Amino acid sequence: MNLELRATPGEVMRAVDALWEFGHQRGLSESDLFGLCLALEECGSNIVNHAFDRDPRQSFKVLFEYAGNSFVIQLRDRGPAFDPTTAPERKPAATDDDDPPGRWGIQLVRRHVDEMRYTREGEENVLRLTKRLGTKSGGKQSHS
Amino acid sequence: MALEIKILKSVGAQSGGAVTVKLIGSLDTATAPDLERQLVPILAGPVKDMVFDLAELKFISSAGLRVFSNARKQLRTRSGQASFIHMQPQIQEVFEIMKSLPGVTVFKSIAELDSYLAARQQSHENPRAI
Repeated sequence: MNLELRATPGEVMRAVDALWEFGHQRGLSESDLFGLCLALEECGSNIVNHAFDRDPRQSFKVLFEYAGNSFVIQLRDRGPAFDPTTAPERKPAATDDDDPPGRWGIQLVRRHVDEMRYTREGEENVLRLTKRLGTKSGGKQSHS
Repeated sequence: MALEIKILKSVGAQSGGAVTVKLIGSLDTATAPDLERQLVPILAGPVKDMVFDLAELKFISSAGLRVFSNARKQLRTRSGQASFIHMQPQIQEVFEIMKSLPGVTVFKSIAELDSYLAARQQSHENPRAI
């Protein structure tokens, strides 16, 4: 399934709703679907908020691929080059009350997919998230 | 999926007691600003304890966690607390990221929460009691 989305939060959630429906139709478990939807929401929001500053004239693309034992979400945008796979881990802030709640999004994506792969293709950021279905995620990342 | 927000003020809320915020649906990049807006007037008041009832919350992302985190920080400036009850397992997994922060408490049941709040209320009224 291919979607072209405007750079707004509402459009990110339109993609998430489409993913729920797509996944339900193919019999994915609630747990797998939740993780995939969360990863899509976080990565889509990152594009909307940081690459395009919520400019609805901008757009990005999302692709879903289901292969039986795995599921792939691919996001393509023409924003500035940004490789989320190299974003540093957020340090635990258990005792620091002033620590800003940053980088939670990327941390959640890492927890809920098995592989994050980033490439810059011409003017496009291409992020490919892969989840092996029916397993506990928290996986590897790569870029090229 | 939309977000429905129900704000229930308990007895004593006007003088700094607890306010319960029941969330139904999805707390995400599109709906988190609505919750943030609705919390502004409550946090501007004297409330010390805020209870988020998540029994019917189906989805949450980091945008939602940030709203909770900001509320928690504001409550802590007045020795208050953000508490969370009835968390579904998937929501709980997302929550692990901020659960360890100071000023956040997760309860499994109303009874557990009530006894905690009663103890807190008692300590507010009579600081030497505990």
